[in-house]
Amino acid sequence: MVRGLLCVALLSVTVTAHAETWPDKEWAKAPPLSGPAVDALNAYAFPARDDTHRQGIRTDALLVIRDGAVVYERYAEPTTASTPHLTWSVSKSLMATVLGVAYGEKRFKLTDPVARFYPPMKQHPAVSMADLLHWASGLDWQEDYEFAPLKSSVVAMLYTRGRADMAEFTAGMDAASAPGRVFRYSSGDSNLLSAALKGMLGHKAYMSYPWDALFKPLGIHNATWETDADETFVASSYAYLTARDLARVGLLMARDGRWGDQQLLPEDWVAFNRKPFDPYKAGQDEAVPGGHWWLNREVRGAARPWPDAPADTFAALGHWGQALYVMPDEHLVIVRYGDDRDGSYRHNELLKRVLAAVQP
Amino acid sequence: MIRRRPFTSLFLVLLLALVGWVWHERVNLQAFPDIIAAYTAKEYCSCRYVADNPAEYCRGYVKQYVPISAFTDDPKRSEVTASGLGRTHTARWLGEHQGCRLTP
Repeated sequence: MVRGLLCVALLSVTVTAHAETWPDKEWAKAPPLSGPAVDALNAYAFPARDDTHRQGIRTDALLVIRDGAVVYERYAEPTTASTPHLTWSVSKSLMATVLGVAYGEKRFKLTDPVARFYPPMKQHPAVSMADLLHWASGLDWQEDYEFAPLKSSVVAMLYTRGRADMAEFTAGMDAASAPGRVFRYSSGDSNLLSAALKGMLGHKAYMSYPWDALFKPLGIHNATWETDADETFVASSYAYLTARDLARVGLLMARDGRWGDQQLLPEDWVAFNRKPFDPYKAGQDEAVPGGHWWLNREVRGAARPWPDAPADTFAALGHWGQALYVMPDEHLVIVRYGDDRDGSYRHNELLKRVLAAVQP
Repeated sequence: MIRRRPFTSLFLVLLLALVGWVWHERVNLQAFPDIIAAYTAKEYCSCRYVADNPAEYCRGYVKQYVPISAFTDDPKRSEVTASGLGRTHTARWLGEHQGCRLTP
């Protein structure tokens, strides 16, 4: 009887272990998806590419992982499976993931003032790590890109007045509201997080930390993360990964911060990433901000940003159509790289078609 | 004065407003012409040497509505220089981890 129970217990453990697929050097490959729903997905993501006027949807890469194995993968020239593609603001969520490892090492608490790790923030002593992760520093930041280049804080930070030291440039801004009260999407907030991490680790350890803490444990060997002239990683914009490598970060997040048998990110960290920032008002941005990730959640009765995707969907999103979507309950991770210049790409439409394509 | 010279008065008021705006935005206006050269040099460098895309593709990738007056890509030094609106900027590839950065 006891032996029988033990057998059942052992069997269930083995079944669980077998049920979970993880990428090794390469991703496991499941039988590729096919059928009319896949044709519809291809038609949406890869229409005839307009390289002259750069109009319409211009997907560079689309990769779908289900249950830890590749079920769909397609690229458009010149992007290939080995291209470390610019992720733009997906970098922000990557920095949050790197910070998650530091959080697990008890290097900081969410309530810690940023000034503890980054002295120039003494000008704004009440801003906490959580405030930056919510894009709620309260600093007077203008997040516009090419349509308002004169006033854009991002353009000034990346290319002109701020580029030598992006965190210092941000810390020098005036406060527009009290910290933690108002959502105001800011690339500056993300770079302050990067500078705070440097303060926690010291310059030398910091320079290899994204690789030591996150990339190597996940088996990512081809990542670039550009720095400003002060050697602070440009957490707002400049991480480069192949689609397959970015999907590894997605799988880590889909499985609550666990990689194999190692809990790389504390579960409460991932829960923080996925919790909506309370003062956010529906419609302020294209999705609901959590802790430096984007959520598909209803906010005070307002519909989900992507109604055709499940409510537990969350994402890292970047300029010109970069996206890493995670759907834990569907066991799905989707990487989409693009070069969309006209904003016609719709997250909801892509997710809807991926979900239709993966139906058995 | 305003009744006798309405157009001149209007012109003076507008001129005053313009001068005020220029003064208010002086920091942004001074930096503005640098954007196109810095953007082109930096993003071309990364497109070419980090993402390893073909040169021709990268030229198209960085194209904006503001024209570039001069452009050089020195593959031996992995160094890209672009000029536009009277300003010149250079970006250099530093290595596998750190990619490209604008030189000071």
